[in-house]
Amino acid sequence: MRNSSPPALIRGLVFLAVASTLLFSGSALAGSRILGTGGVSAIEGAAGGGLSPWAVLTSTASEQEVGATASVSRAWLDDYRLTVEAASANLYDRVEVSVARQTLDLETLGGELEQTIVGGKVRLFGDVLYHPWGVWSAGFQHKSVADDGIPKVLGAKEGQGNDVYLSASKLVFNAVAGRNLLLNATLRNTDANQGGLLGFGGDSGGRQWVAEGSLGVFVTPKWVVGMEYRQKPDLLGAAEEDDWQSLYSAYFFNKHVSLTAAWLSLGDIAGLASQNGAYASLQAAF
Amino acid sequence: MHVHRYATPLLLALWLTGCAAQDATQPSLYTRLGGMSTIDNVVENMLYRVADDPEVVVFFANTNIDHFAEAFATQLCDISDGPCQYDGPPMDRAHQHMGINDAHFNRVVEYLADAMEEEGVPLAEQNELLGRLAPLYEDIMRRQ
Repeated sequence: MRNSSPPALIRGLVFLAVASTLLFSGSALAGSRILGTGGVSAIEGAAGGGLSPWAVLTSTASEQEVGATASVSRAWLDDYRLTVEAASANLYDRVEVSVARQTLDLETLGGELEQTIVGGKVRLFGDVLYHPWGVWSAGFQHKSVADDGIPKVLGAKEGQGNDVYLSASKLVFNAVAGRNLLLNATLRNTDANQGGLLGFGGDSGGRQWVAEGSLGVFVTPKWVVGMEYRQKPDLLGAAEEDDWQSLYSAYFFNKHVSLTAAWLSLGDIAGLASQNGAYASLQAAF
Repeated sequence: MHVHRYATPLLLALWLTGCAAQDATQPSLYTRLGGMSTIDNVVENMLYRVADDPEVVVFFANTNIDHFAEAFATQLCDISDGPCQYDGPPMDRAHQHMGINDAHFNRVVEYLADAMEEEGVPLAEQNELLGRLAPLYEDIMRRQ
């Protein structure tokens, strides 16, 4: 059940990105928030750093502005390949809605797993730059796998599930060698196995709170490098899973185009040990 | 589980660079910015950007721009530990009931950052000055 082939979508997105850079290289149609303060597209569609959602809302839309993003991401792991196509919208820097479709190609085992994630995030209070406590947001993600056959064979109880999370983000000016430091922390309540690709619930436990965090140093106003950590439940006796971590580098060409590259260490996935690999993500924002 | 494979070296690197940056003999931010001449240039550069933005320039319609430039430069000098004393009105009263929203505020911050960049202020000093100005957001927005 593939609606569009990823290469065609990537070509489309690259075209979109280049066209938007050429057309809107000024501030026209861009939000007024400072470059980089919308993060990039996390693999579940929300604004974040890649693996984990952040409290900032997508794009650079501020009060009285709206914004939208489209992104395509891919991870090349030892035995798997993950493709994510996502889109998100920001209404007045208060509400974010997002949708993402993840396809995990089981290159060693054969076949593929697919899930769709619809998400929402509300900014509760604050600002990542100006508020002494940073920005705080609450969000949810409704996830459903396209085919729950493999997840249920491995012991998952459901083919769909819901995550809720509370997230805080804060930029500390002049923190490291004169550079600004971006801190993020997220608490998530979830019963998703491998983010949901292996279903929800299992024989080894149920819903639980997990912690996610990241830090990033803005080497320049356009370039941030850092690391992320995402704790995960471990509910399937037949397919143990590990916490995820990444080292990332994101470059904001302007308010319309960003490119993220990362090194992922995702641990065991569906019985195959220590999955590492590269990650790339391109986002276009309006 | 390999929690600390990346975390430990990165945190160590951050800590080491942080220590290196905390030099006790460092001159004041005012001096590192380039003193009053750079501050005056930054303010002038910023005001040209404001003048080009119809949505922001309206807030200066009843303002004597020379007086504003001098007051803002004095404030930047004061907040960067320079030999000045800002004695104008407090930020909440100076901006009250102007109808400034986050979008306007962000644009002026961007103009100031771009002005500092164009006037040759090093990034570390840009960040340090923006960090000292950031808490003013609450005062400026209090009575909108």
